[in-house]
Amino acid sequence: MDSQRLSLSSIGAGMLPRLVDLTYDLFRSFDRAPTAEALNACLLQAVARIGVESTFAGVIPLPGLPRARQAAHVLIDSTPPGWTEHYFKVGHLERDPTIRRLTSEATPFLWSEIEPLYRADPAARRVMEEAGDFRLRQGFTVPLITLDGRVAGFSFGAERLDASPEVRGMLHLLAAYAFGRSIVLSEGPKRQPVRLTPREREALQWAAAGKTEWEIGEAMAISEHGAEKHLRSVHRKLGAASRTHAVAEALRRGLIT
Amino acid sequence: MIHVVTPENRHRYTNAMEQAFRLRHQVFVEEKGWTALARPDGREIDAFDDDHALHMLAIQEACVVGYQRMLPTTRPYLLTEVLPDLCEVEPPRSPRVWEWTRYAVARGHRDRGRILSPVGSALLTGIVEWGLESGVEAIVIEMNPLWLLRLVQLHFRVTPLGLPQPISGEDTVAVSAAFDHRTLKRLRETRGAQESVLVARPAGPRRLAS
Repeated sequence: MDSQRLSLSSIGAGMLPRLVDLTYDLFRSFDRAPTAEALNACLLQAVARIGVESTFAGVIPLPGLPRARQAAHVLIDSTPPGWTEHYFKVGHLERDPTIRRLTSEATPFLWSEIEPLYRADPAARRVMEEAGDFRLRQGFTVPLITLDGRVAGFSFGAERLDASPEVRGMLHLLAAYAFGRSIVLSEGPKRQPVRLTPREREALQWAAAGKTEWEIGEAMAISEHGAEKHLRSVHRKLGAASRTHAVAEALRRGLIT
Repeated sequence: MIHVVTPENRHRYTNAMEQAFRLRHQVFVEEKGWTALARPDGREIDAFDDDHALHMLAIQEACVVGYQRMLPTTRPYLLTEVLPDLCEVEPPRSPRVWEWTRYAVARGHRDRGRILSPVGSALLTGIVEWGLESGVEAIVIEMNPLWLLRLVQLHFRVTPLGLPQPISGEDTVAVSAAFDHRTLKRLRETRGAQESVLVARPAGPRRLAS
């Protein structure tokens, strides 16, 4: 099985590795990744070739969950800064046509394929247009179902996405495997107990309420830079890949409410 | 409880195997529409149901409520004979790798909502218990990619054998899934039960030697 040993860097360098071999290599890289953040970085590096710029994945919150709590369901997030905060703050979750599609049907889809479903819905169209402003013009979403029966979604975002049937098949498998490993890593047994300082906890609590760093600074009567420092420290302590991941992790551990 | 049926103990399962073949017909022909497998007597039996096949039956109060068939990969098996297009690499051939086929849970015992049903998880646990006892380390599966996340969460180490392709209108991917004691531990945690699910055990090593 020498063909399975092809390195990722050989893509585009003359002979293309078969996508099944690339998928195999990535599965094994995911197995070795120590954190969800490392795993996602490895995934992003590999799929950059086909145009993917960001990933976004999580369990879909049940309808009616307050906006401030929705972001805690995010497991992987490498979308451009500002997008996720904006998305949950303005309540896009309820209008997002990709969410609607993935909770109704379990097959993966290109965002362009569902355009007819929301063409007549201005609110849904606005979500997709605003996403375009954040370099999420095209995308591919994979519906998933967790072991405990919760519906989840894994999206790949791009300015322009190469989406041949083979690429779609590969992204389908990568999404499921990356999501599964990220869950396993997030519930790992060797998790150290984390202690946050009162100021860190306060900053994170504001972040969970959807506040920006500037707003957190105002609320805590410190500078924006000070708020950012507290949050960075929280990220480090929790091994979080993003703001939303930190909030999710802190909620799970009962560090904030 | 999961009963392992082989040629050695088959005579004790005449009635149960009848039920199993009917359950297979019900699920694969009538529900999934695999019409090529249809038989007028309502029993789904194919060329792989020979003495090399190992049947696992989930039996509750004398009723077969779940079924799966394990085929050795040292002989021709479904992936190599019926679904070769799904396999883009050299197909596994090893006494330590068996193919998992015809997984079926009777209606009324299915996944409630979308959760892996108790019968389904007992069948999966049955494979892992049997495998750990018999020197089997991995199973080949042709499945809907939705299974992949479950397998990863259950600590199976999955290797893709090809990319997903539509088979009878349903996306299907071939994988091999390796397991060990951690998989068993995880399955038992998920089931909330520590005891073995297997009731009748064949002499594992003898089967593998044949």
